[in-house]
Amino acid sequence: MASIQAERLVKRYNPGAPPAVSGIDFEIADGEFVAILGPSGCGKSSTMRMIAGLETITEGTIRFDGRPVNEVRARERNVAMSFESYALYPTISVYENIAFPLRCRGEANAAIDRQVRQIAETMELAPLLQRRTKELSSGQAQRVGLARALIRRPTVFLLDEPISHLDTRQRYRMRQFIKSIHRDFKTTMIYVTHDQEEAMALADRIIVMSHGDIQQIGTPEEIYERPVNAFVAGFVGEPPINFIDGEVVVTDGEFHFTTAGQSFLLPPKVKATPGRMRLAVRPAWLSLGSERDHHLRATHFVTERLQDHNILVVDVGRTRVTLLTDPAVLPRDGEKLYLRLDPDRILLYPPDGSQAAADDDDS
Amino acid sequence: MLQRPVHPAFSTLRYALILLVVLFAAFPIFWMILTSFKPPGDIMVSPPRLFFSPTLDNYVHAIVDKDFLRYVTNTLIVSVISTVFVVVLGSLAAYSFARYNTGDGHILFFILSTKMFPAIAVVLPYFLIFRDIGRTGIGQFLQIGLDKPGALIISYTMFNLPFAIWLLVSFFQDIPRELEDSARLDGLSRLKVLRKVVLPLAAPGIAVTAIFTLIFCWNEFLFAYILTRKTWSTVTVGVESFFTLQGILWGPVAAAATLAVLPMLLFVLAMQRWMVRGLTFGAVRG
Repeated sequence: MASIQAERLVKRYNPGAPPAVSGIDFEIADGEFVAILGPSGCGKSSTMRMIAGLETITEGTIRFDGRPVNEVRARERNVAMSFESYALYPTISVYENIAFPLRCRGEANAAIDRQVRQIAETMELAPLLQRRTKELSSGQAQRVGLARALIRRPTVFLLDEPISHLDTRQRYRMRQFIKSIHRDFKTTMIYVTHDQEEAMALADRIIVMSHGDIQQIGTPEEIYERPVNAFVAGFVGEPPINFIDGEVVVTDGEFHFTTAGQSFLLPPKVKATPGRMRLAVRPAWLSLGSERDHHLRATHFVTERLQDHNILVVDVGRTRVTLLTDPAVLPRDGEKLYLRLDPDRILLYPPDGSQAAADDDDS
Repeated sequence: MLQRPVHPAFSTLRYALILLVVLFAAFPIFWMILTSFKPPGDIMVSPPRLFFSPTLDNYVHAIVDKDFLRYVTNTLIVSVISTVFVVVLGSLAAYSFARYNTGDGHILFFILSTKMFPAIAVVLPYFLIFRDIGRTGIGQFLQIGLDKPGALIISYTMFNLPFAIWLLVSFFQDIPRELEDSARLDGLSRLKVLRKVVLPLAAPGIAVTAIFTLIFCWNEFLFAYILTRKTWSTVTVGVESFFTLQGILWGPVAAAATLAVLPMLLFVLAMQRWMVRGLTFGAVRG
C-alpha cells in the first residue's frame, strides 16, 4: 500500500498538440479511495496510465510513498489495474487468469492454488474457475478482472471505467462490491470514471478534471455543495444543476439578483459582485413557496412522476428550471408557481463559466 | 429459430452449381493424375481415353532417370526456411506497425508498394547481384549465389514479406491493447508479453500467413528458373525440364507434376480448417 503524489504532471503525446495532461498536482493518501472524474478526453485516463507506468511521463514527478517512480517499470510498481473491457486472457481458463500474476512471479503451485481458491471465494467465483472466459457474463468477467488484480496485494489498485459496460442492475451490484473490496483490502484505490454518480457513491475524495487540468479536488460533499466553478457544478449532480443567467445589482447597499424582469434579495453571506452573473442552484435545493414567500415566479412546463419523488420542470422567464418535489405535488399545465431558494445554498459564477468573460463584462 | 424451409428445386440447383464448380476446379488435377498412369500410346489419342491399363513407367522415368525427388527435397528446404523467415520477420514488423504505428503508415505503404512491380522487372538485377555475391567468400559460406539455396530463400523472403506483413497487421490490430497493458502490470517484460499474450492470440493469423507463404514459395517458378541451374532447382523448374528439344514427355511430365502437387495438396487439405477459421474469425473478441 502506498500514498501517491503527483507534481506538475504533464503528458504530451505529440510535440505540437496541446497536452493531454497539463501540469497537475495532487496527493492521494495511503488507503484512500479517490475517483478521477471528467468527460472523455479530459486527461483522466492518461493520468491513470502514467501512475500505472503504461505511459511515459512527459514532465513532472509521480511519487509512491515519497519515492519517485518515473523511471520504475510498470511491472515493478506493483500496481494492479482493472479495465473497462475486462482484458481477460481469452486463451486460458478463469483459474489461470486469476493465477496469472502469481505465475509471473514464479510462486509455487500449491501457494498459487490456495490463493486463487481463497480470492475466488471472496469474489463469488468459486464455481466458475474452470470456465473459459468467453462463457462468462459481463459482471462475472469484471469480477474475474478484479480478482486477478487483487490476488497479488497491489500497492495501488487502479480501476479504469470498470463498470460502464454493465447494465444498470449489475452496475449497482458491482458498485457495492467494489466499495466492500476497498473496505476489506484497504488498498489505495483510484477509480477513473465519467459517471458522476459512480464517483459520488464510491470515492472518499474526487478529482474533477477537464481539458487536461484539475478543476477541483474535494470530498463528494464539497464537490456537490461547493463546486468551485460552473463546470464542476454542471458536471456533478442528477438531475443537472440549474443555471439562471442574470445580473447582480446593488440597491441601498444590498445585493439583488435580477433575471427575466424579476428580482430578489441575495442573503448577506452570498459573495457577489455587481454585474452579469450566473446563478446555480440544484433541483433539490429548490422548493415551492407561496405568493407571499418566494424568490422567483415560474410557469409549470411538465412533470416527471418518478413515484418516490416528482421532477417538476418549470420556466423562469425563458430559462428552463427543474426541481424535486413531493410526489403529491401535481401542478396543472401552465400553472403559475412560486419558487423558494435555500438561502444557504446559492451559488454564483461568472457568466459562461470563464473568468475572462467575466472580466470583459465588468466595466 | 426455425430454419426457413428450402424449396427442393432450389436445393437441387444449389448442388448442381456446386458440382459444376468442383468439376471445373478439380478436373485438370484429375486428368493430370490419370495421365501420369497412362502408357505413351494412350495419352495423345483422340477421343481421350478414360480406361486403359495403368503403368508406373512414367514415375520410374521421373524418379529414377530424372531424379525428380531431389527437386521435391530442394523445394521443401527452400520453401520451409523462407516461410520461417517470412513469419518471424513479418510478425515482428506487423506487430510494430499495428501497435506503434511505426513510420506513420509511410513505411507500411512503402513495403506494400514493393509488390506493385512485376517479378520479371527485378529478376535480372537479382541474377547479377547473386552472381557477384556467390563469388565472394561470405556468399559461398552462406550458400548465397547462383544455383544455391540462399539466393532463393532471400528472394522468396523478400517477395513474400509484404503480403505477409499486410495480412498480419490486421490480425495484430484485432488484439485488444488492454491485454498487453494488463500483462505488463502483471509482471511480464515487453518481450514476454509478445510471447505469452500476443503470439498465442495471433496464432490463427500466423498460421494462415505461414500456409499461404509456403504455397507461394512452393509454386514459384520465375526466380527458381533464373537463379538456379541444376543442383538447387525446384519442382516447378523440374517439371519444365521435361519439355525437351526432342519433344514433350507427356507421361513423365504428368507424373512429375503429380509429385510436385501432391505434398501441397495434402498439406492444404490438412490445414483447411485452420485457414478458414483464421481468415473468417479475424483474431479475438475482447
